[in-house]
Amino acid sequence: MTTSSPAPGCPAPSCPAPGVRIRDLTVVYKTPVGELPAVSGVDLTLTPGTITGVVGESGSGKSTLALSLLNAVQPPGRIKSGTVEIDGLGDVVKLGGEQLRQTRGRKVGYVFQAAQNSLNPLKTIGKQLLDLGRSHEVDDLRALVRDAKDLLARMGMDGARVLDSHQHELSGGMRQRVGIMLALVLNAQVVVLDEPTTALDMITQATILRIIREVHEERALTTLVITHDVGAVAEVADDLAVMYGGRVVEHGRITEVLGAPRHPYTQGLIRAIPRLSGDISLARALPGRPPTLGTLPAAGCVFRERCDKRMEICETVEPQSVTLDGRTVACHAAGRPLPLVKRKEYA
Amino acid sequence: MTRSRGGAVARRVAGHLIRGLVMVWVVATISFVIIREIPGNPVQGQYESLIQKGMSPEQAERATAVLYGFLPTGSLWDQYTGYLGSLLHFDLGRSLSTPGVEVTTLIGHAARWTVLPVLAGTLLSFLLGVTMGVYAAIKRSGKLGDLLALSGSLLHGVPVYVIGLLLTAIFTTLWPILPSGGPVDVEFVPGLNPGYVGSLLQHAVLPVVTYTLASYGGWILAMKSNVVAVLGDDFILAAELRGLKRGIVFRYLARNAILPLFTILALSIGMLFGGSIFIEEIFNYPGLGLLLVNSISSRDYALMGGTFLVITVGIIVANIAADLLYTAIDPRVRSGGSA
Amino acid sequence: MTVTVIPEATVQTTGGTTRATLRRNFWRGVWRVLRRKPSRMAGVVIVLLFAVMGLIGPLLYPDHLPRDDNALYSPPSLQHPFGTDFEGTDVLALVVTGARYVLLTGLATAVITVALGTAIGLFAGFRRGRWDTALMRLTDMNLAIPGLPLLLVLSAVWKFESPIEMGLVLGLLGWGGVARAVRSQTLSLRERGFIEAARGLGLPTTHIIGRELLPSMAPYIAMNMLIAVTGAVYAQVGLFFLGVLPFEANNWGVMLNLAVFNGGALTTPAALPYLLAPLLAILLLTLGIVLIVDAMDEIFNPRLREE
Repeated sequence: MTTSSPAPGCPAPSCPAPGVRIRDLTVVYKTPVGELPAVSGVDLTLTPGTITGVVGESGSGKSTLALSLLNAVQPPGRIKSGTVEIDGLGDVVKLGGEQLRQTRGRKVGYVFQAAQNSLNPLKTIGKQLLDLGRSHEVDDLRALVRDAKDLLARMGMDGARVLDSHQHELSGGMRQRVGIMLALVLNAQVVVLDEPTTALDMITQATILRIIREVHEERALTTLVITHDVGAVAEVADDLAVMYGGRVVEHGRITEVLGAPRHPYTQGLIRAIPRLSGDISLARALPGRPPTLGTLPAAGCVFRERCDKRMEICETVEPQSVTLDGRTVACHAAGRPLPLVKRKEYA
Repeated sequence: MTRSRGGAVARRVAGHLIRGLVMVWVVATISFVIIREIPGNPVQGQYESLIQKGMSPEQAERATAVLYGFLPTGSLWDQYTGYLGSLLHFDLGRSLSTPGVEVTTLIGHAARWTVLPVLAGTLLSFLLGVTMGVYAAIKRSGKLGDLLALSGSLLHGVPVYVIGLLLTAIFTTLWPILPSGGPVDVEFVPGLNPGYVGSLLQHAVLPVVTYTLASYGGWILAMKSNVVAVLGDDFILAAELRGLKRGIVFRYLARNAILPLFTILALSIGMLFGGSIFIEEIFNYPGLGLLLVNSISSRDYALMGGTFLVITVGIIVANIAADLLYTAIDPRVRSGGSA
Repeated sequence: MTVTVIPEATVQTTGGTTRATLRRNFWRGVWRVLRRKPSRMAGVVIVLLFAVMGLIGPLLYPDHLPRDDNALYSPPSLQHPFGTDFEGTDVLALVVTGARYVLLTGLATAVITVALGTAIGLFAGFRRGRWDTALMRLTDMNLAIPGLPLLLVLSAVWKFESPIEMGLVLGLLGWGGVARAVRSQTLSLRERGFIEAARGLGLPTTHIIGRELLPSMAPYIAMNMLIAVTGAVYAQVGLFFLGVLPFEANNWGVMLNLAVFNGGALTTPAALPYLLAPLLAILLLTLGIVLIVDAMDEIFNPRLREE
């Protein structure tokens, strides 16, 4: 791959990938009944140079968490407390104004889900690329266009044609690749992908996942992939964080989390996946419904309503996250030995 | 632009033209039917009165045909084709109330007193409404936004003549700072001299302000709701997350919000053309609207039919023009695909 | 789905919700929306006031309003809050008794506009295909021909004798907007699988239209009806103002015409109250209807509710 024009201070291949540390992050949404937390007290560390997957049902707070990485939680939401430290940037939560704007796009890239129209429908991709360059004071716009074409070619597309197209002339998979290009073309080294494979067909999904993996390695990125699709995340991620009710209930190496889940929610999630080999009747949906902001219990464990291992203590005391040999789990029952069905497929 | 795109545009333009021609034909037919159906059949009446005055039937026939554009005798079909035939030659007949003058001449004189103020009013109200609409959208949860929206709804809802009459009552009766009627003071010699032009402008103030206020409400309401809708679109958030400058994000927002307004442009122009009837009546402004009202009260039916036809065709043409303009600027329509 | 966490309805309906409770919730919602902005309450009061005026206004006064030759164009006073007209008749009495004629036309027009527009729009959206194309061409035509010039020209042919007759003509000219809106609503419901689902359940067409489609569009139609009332009032008052209709009964348009062209209200202040009174009535009616439509918008358009 042709190297892109290096970003000031941090040329892509030579610079080590930055780490991201989220500490005690709480994000609340203003509602008629007061401020309700969508993310409460989340700790999450993204190891430099890894892909971390975040899975959860809708309403689990995973998208809000993703936006927090760019300090971009939309009103009526706001970050109430906590820090998001990114190496070389400091605490993103404290950034504001011009500083924050320059961080977005240049240091931290964000890729929307394909079904969302993340591109201005009235302008060609090329013109939007130039807008991006001008916004970030790129002097050599011609080099920027060259980099963009290279990136697009890297992802298997005809760069010149794509840059000359409008959004409506591109398919879902093409839009997704354009989104990735726009997130990376300024050499951002932290990349957040929000549902990168949702609403794409199976073959395109596989292609996009392969591209994410390859580009991630070539550019030495630190990547966060938000998804509700455990299968997709299993293909690309190194680490996996499972979110429920605004909390990270389990976090660790993906092979370990999926291979030997410790939190009852993770176990339920895995049980719910039907697989090709084996009996479909083994797949069991989680009972109950995921909580919404309004239905989250005020005290105790957020998962207890749907939990098959609930104990008395779960009603009153919220379980603390406990880290044990590289695994973080927030469950009162997780300390005890759990009956586990080993799933070979994920090992 | 590739060939297929060019083809799509050509097809679209052709479609519009054909539809426009059909519309004109329908309106001409309506006009014909109305003139024929007027109680007492003025065409026949004219013919008979001319014969009573001692004209030969052939002479009277010709004289009446000159007036109305079709022969008073003959079958309905002959009259109809005769009428359409003279329309094709842009012959709208002769006026009765201004004897001997061709209807087209009268209309030509009147048209400028309507078209210029309507265009000025459209432009002013568009600029004002769009600016205020953006403001109302951004401040939509505050008192000011509420007030702007209410003023828009009220002005949009109130009929033109109420605005016109109120303005006149205020600025010519209660606080007489502006002339009350007519297009220009008679004491000035027409031409490019300061007195005449100044008087012309002075007399145009109230009509133009009325036109402006009449369509301002529509613009502000439409712009406000468009801006609110586009603000919720993902690409605006995406642009912010890519760190685009505020000015550029604002341009994305504004262009996407303004674009659909071009479909209303036609409606607005049409509304103002209709409104010209009231505005010209109130301000005694010698445009097409006043011509139409006067032709009805003086039973000058050839002039009535002609004026009606011209006003209507003008609106149809404005419609087509606005739609083509929209085609030219929206890439989604331009390439023939659906958005 | 960037920000999916905005809470859905906070009211939890716990199984067994009957139509009655739904209706009660609806009225409670209406009440809440009205209470949130007192101006909307004012809108309801204003429109009710006009309705009462149209219903019983003429009963409050004798058939022939008293004249007072000694008080022609008298200025506003306690006895005549809006002064008197050229015959010394009380202007307020003229406005009140003139309301019925105007509002009756508005009502007739609205009924015809909405009935015709809804029927055509529903049919076009429901049948689609060739019928849709033909009906929409017709609708485009109806929309493109400017109503006022056509009305003027028509007034040369027909003498509109009664308010109902006038309403009939206005309704026949003005159904296009409603038809197009109803059609697009029908199409969007169809797209959401509404109709297919009902078909799948084996429901007859009349049921689908009457019980599924119409109720979901009812608020929309009601709003259009209100707007049609004002449109008709304006058109009719305007025609009387221009003097192209025969004056046979007192109404607001006749008052405007006499004030401007006989009373010289645009040049002398004496006749000004006579001119302003009907204008004020129109403004007030518009304000009332605008406020109600605004409230309805919020009741039926949940997207606006959170703002």
